[in-house]
Amino acid sequence: MLAASAAALPVLLATAGCRSSQLFAGPDPLAGPPSPSPDVITLQAVISAEQAMIRLYQTALDSGLRGGILAGLLAQHRQHLGRLRARLIVPAGTVVPSAVPSATAIAHASPSTAPRVTVARLRAAERTSAATLVRRLATVEPSLAQLFASIAASDATHVVALGG
Amino acid sequence: MAGHGGAANPVSAVGALQAALAAEDAAIFGYGVAGAHLSGSRQSAAERYWTGHNKARDTLTAMISGLGASPAAAQAFYRLPFPVHDTASAMELAAYLEDGVTRAYLGIVAVSDQRLRTFGALAMQAAAKRAAFWRGSTEAFPGLSLS
Repeated sequence: MLAASAAALPVLLATAGCRSSQLFAGPDPLAGPPSPSPDVITLQAVISAEQAMIRLYQTALDSGLRGGILAGLLAQHRQHLGRLRARLIVPAGTVVPSAVPSATAIAHASPSTAPRVTVARLRAAERTSAATLVRRLATVEPSLAQLFASIAASDATHVVALGG
Repeated sequence: MAGHGGAANPVSAVGALQAALAAEDAAIFGYGVAGAHLSGSRQSAAERYWTGHNKARDTLTAMISGLGASPAAAQAFYRLPFPVHDTASAMELAAYLEDGVTRAYLGIVAVSDQRLRTFGALAMQAAAKRAAFWRGSTEAFPGLSLS
């Protein structure tokens, strides 16, 4: 019965002179997964950047660089990542383009090819992160903007903690 | 979609600026108290930050007036959150004041005007850095309550 009904639907629609897109005012559930919203794309980019930052700190710690301070800052970056991930809700099947290819490149760089991580490099990364977050918060919804601003403020304090 | 936690109604720019002005006024008063219990480089920092808060107050006052509203006047006296009687409590008060300023500017980040958002975010960074100076440590989420 169900198969017969499904088979008959195009005939019925054609008879009525309609297409499925004219029957439903909302998004077409048969058209595939929806495109991610601009906020999702921005959030995904921020998450990728945070992951890259964590990787950078881990590399620095692995090389024995100022462990006490770095471990504390790394812990805060992990908190940032957790909070950002909690804000990301993506329907199954949605393809979210990678907005920050450099993050992937950093994550997969082999030890022999990865550039040496210095305190100066961490400081520069924190400074860049803070500035980038402020640029990105201009267009997202208010509570996400506030989260970005708070993380940017944290990153700004990290610059000082690293001697900047 | 990105999860939502914000208010349904847009945040009033004037209201957010007035809240930041109130926080700056409180900081100006509080630094006067804290500075009296500090010495050396800490006292110099307190004086520098006090001057900065005065400039921020003037900036906010002009911005509020520019939006056609009347800037709220500072209170004559502020109740301190705890007794301040030595260097440690003075530094704790300074950090407390800067936390309040950070929270207030976070409110400006929620308005729809993009320039105001940027202004609020940059002011948050300055306040968070001052708070970290007094506290001697950084925080993961300056200005945010993690509920």
